[in-house]
Amino acid sequence: MADVLSNYRVGDAFDEMIDAEGSVRPSYKAVYSALSSSTSDDLRMIAESLANNYTQAGVTFDVGGVERPFPLDLVPRVIASPEWEIIEAGVAQRVRALEAFLSDIYFDARVIADGVMPSQLLTSSTHFHRAVWGIQPSNGVRIHVAGIDLIRNPDGDVRVLEDNVRVPSGVSYVMTNRNAMLTAMPEAFANQRIRPVTGYPTRLLTALRKAAPSGVEEPTVVVLTPGVYNSAYFEHTLLARTMGVELVEGRDLECRRGKVFMRTTAGLQRVDVIYRRVDDEFLDPVHFRGDSMLGVPGLVNAVRTRGVTLANSIGNGVADDKLIYTYVPDLIKYYLREEPILPNVDTWRLEDDQAREEVLDRLEELVIKPVDGSGGKGIVIGPRATKAELDGLRRRVSEDPRGWIAQPVVQLSTVPTLIEDCLQPRHVDLRPFAVNNGEDVWVLPGGLTRVALPEGELVVNSSQGGGSKDTWVLSPPPHRSSSNHRVPTEHHDDADEQPKTRTAVPLTVAPIPAAVMPKMAETQRQQQDQQQQAKPRSWRC
Amino acid sequence: MLSRIAESMFWIGRYVERAEDTARLLQTHLRLIIEETAAHEVDACRNLLALMSVDHVEDPTLTDVLRILGYDPSEPISIYFSYAAARDNARRAREVIPLDLWECVNTTWHQLPTTPFGPTGAHVFLNWARERSAMFAGISRGIMVRDDGWQFMSMGRSLEQADMTSRLVASVSLTHGSSQWPAVLRGCGGHDAFLRTYRGLYTDREVAEFLVMDARFPRSIMHGLIAAADSLQRVAQNNPLTARHAEPALRSLGQLRARLEYADLDDLLANLNHEMSVVQDVCAQVAIAVSMSYFAAEEPPAWTTEGTR
Repeated sequence: MADVLSNYRVGDAFDEMIDAEGSVRPSYKAVYSALSSSTSDDLRMIAESLANNYTQAGVTFDVGGVERPFPLDLVPRVIASPEWEIIEAGVAQRVRALEAFLSDIYFDARVIADGVMPSQLLTSSTHFHRAVWGIQPSNGVRIHVAGIDLIRNPDGDVRVLEDNVRVPSGVSYVMTNRNAMLTAMPEAFANQRIRPVTGYPTRLLTALRKAAPSGVEEPTVVVLTPGVYNSAYFEHTLLARTMGVELVEGRDLECRRGKVFMRTTAGLQRVDVIYRRVDDEFLDPVHFRGDSMLGVPGLVNAVRTRGVTLANSIGNGVADDKLIYTYVPDLIKYYLREEPILPNVDTWRLEDDQAREEVLDRLEELVIKPVDGSGGKGIVIGPRATKAELDGLRRRVSEDPRGWIAQPVVQLSTVPTLIEDCLQPRHVDLRPFAVNNGEDVWVLPGGLTRVALPEGELVVNSSQGGGSKDTWVLSPPPHRSSSNHRVPTEHHDDADEQPKTRTAVPLTVAPIPAAVMPKMAETQRQQQDQQQQAKPRSWRC
Repeated sequence: MLSRIAESMFWIGRYVERAEDTARLLQTHLRLIIEETAAHEVDACRNLLALMSVDHVEDPTLTDVLRILGYDPSEPISIYFSYAAARDNARRAREVIPLDLWECVNTTWHQLPTTPFGPTGAHVFLNWARERSAMFAGISRGIMVRDDGWQFMSMGRSLEQADMTSRLVASVSLTHGSSQWPAVLRGCGGHDAFLRTYRGLYTDREVAEFLVMDARFPRSIMHGLIAAADSLQRVAQNNPLTARHAEPALRSLGQLRARLEYADLDDLLANLNHEMSVVQDVCAQVAIAVSMSYFAAEEPPAWTTEGTR
């Protein structure tokens, strides 16, 4: 085994590169051979170039107000084509089910009447907002963008860890990671076809335009950011830039008679669709937190009167409540009449007395999560917690069983990661991003692979010091359609994914002009030359 | 374009220009101070700081000057501060600024000095600062679309340039004698051009005419005033509905141009310091007028504005 991989020891977890017998999985063959022919100096140089690239370009993630370059590891996470097709279908299915769920509960709540879900579960969710009850979005879409967090357990099964349908972030790093990797290690891309990720902004913009209030021919789309101090500010600028739309702050907007306007140098200009990256609670001081400096007074009224479309919709948080998460497989069966493609992680509902008793008994071996948290906040990993922490947790869970769920500690799968001078297995998850334009749900090939850098660490969130990896979804081999493989035909609807071959066209071109230097007569040249030589001589006199 | 973004663009232009002009001013005076005898150092330094409206240091030394105008991040006119402020504004206007230009500003910020330096280090730093500004100007000229964002950036840059040249010119009147003019001309990079234009004659009259009124020289005050007015007019043309917003600023600029254009050169020279402070006042007025017309902040949130009364 080569230098950098000589100490690579696979643990109990599923390793994405090396299988249980110790041989390299087929999808990683190219990456493995590139790695094993590298020295640790090579890798260090690539890692430095990746970090410099991000520092220069200002690709940052802010932690506590300090800009830090977003950490990108040089070993990609590779997903084989057949497996991706399952993930893609599973993610889209989930988004469709959650979309159906939201439009049901904010209208007549059949799901309650039919007894699939208890009603107090819904009304006790902190993100269920009565202010938007009865509002039908113009094209029916509430989840324009979703990020579904997936993990792989030691058996190799992909499972859904949580859904994010409020303001999922991270997609900008998918795009910048790919750019950085292409520059830093172009040779690793050489021998295989990797599906591109550049189509995202166009997909998002199309979906946002389709969501415009009815009757608007040429909608004006904007991205609403909390401001430069937000941890995801870089992402907001990148999305606005790549979609070619304005990036606004709350103070740039103004509501007048149910319409929203932005202040421009040419006066007020109507805004039709707001891709907002501000949480519900801060959107409108009239309806939500009165002390919000980030929102726009009157925005909820504008939404209610259909003067503007918000993406994602207000009140989506009820669908990614972690207790409601436990019902998503039932929701898929109920709304779509399909079997769930991607199963959930086993989860205890703590309102059930028997389950709560069991969980409280085994607290030190489980993971306990607050139902409305995001970014890894508030998660307690039993085996890592101190006694005092567990006691505090036991009390909080008993006081508010609705506020918590419990899950077994899942050993996330591992991918080789450069730690100092050599490659070590580190735990990863995967957040694919889905865009719903009202007609179909498109899943960005790959997504954000987050990696926990400390050894054995299982929390991968960027806000908790996690790093990231470029995620490569391999294209199906080109000969597949002629052979009798089991892979069904893939939908290659992206124009930019089709290999383009152009035949050379004979070009008629004009010659490139150059300044005409006067042709010198030989005598002239000699005279000039003599003059030059004469000068020093005359100085010497 | 968004008012907030327009304001950021305006200030990016100003700060990058200010960094360059401060570097030029500092380079010019470093040379003068070092060439002169040590007895004059405190006076020279005090005059230089007074020019930049700094009055909080008693008996300043060369070290103070380098700190206040050069590397101290907490001094609001230091080159460090200007680049940091330019970068902060660029970050706020990130989605309208071309990637190359952002990387230029961001890299400059990353390379800012973290330790104090003396006169030797100063030259390396000041040359670097001028190069970074030149790179910014080159990239922006080469790739930016000439939309309102560009116009506001140019406007900020032109106003700042007129203002800073007026300070450089005034610096001569503080120290007596025409011996300073060559240094000032070199500081503007206009030494050779001046010699060619006026065939080598150094008189106060000619130099003042060149730096104040010769619109062909891109660092002259007149050039800055005309360029700022051009940008304003372009913005007015691009936004016919709000064309009148440009009027107050255009009027101030036009009045100042007339005042300088039709000034008697001898009077101008006799009152050089006063005339230059008029230039600075007008530049400040124009900045305020532009800000009121185009960047005006929102009215404070009030519960009564929403509704259908």
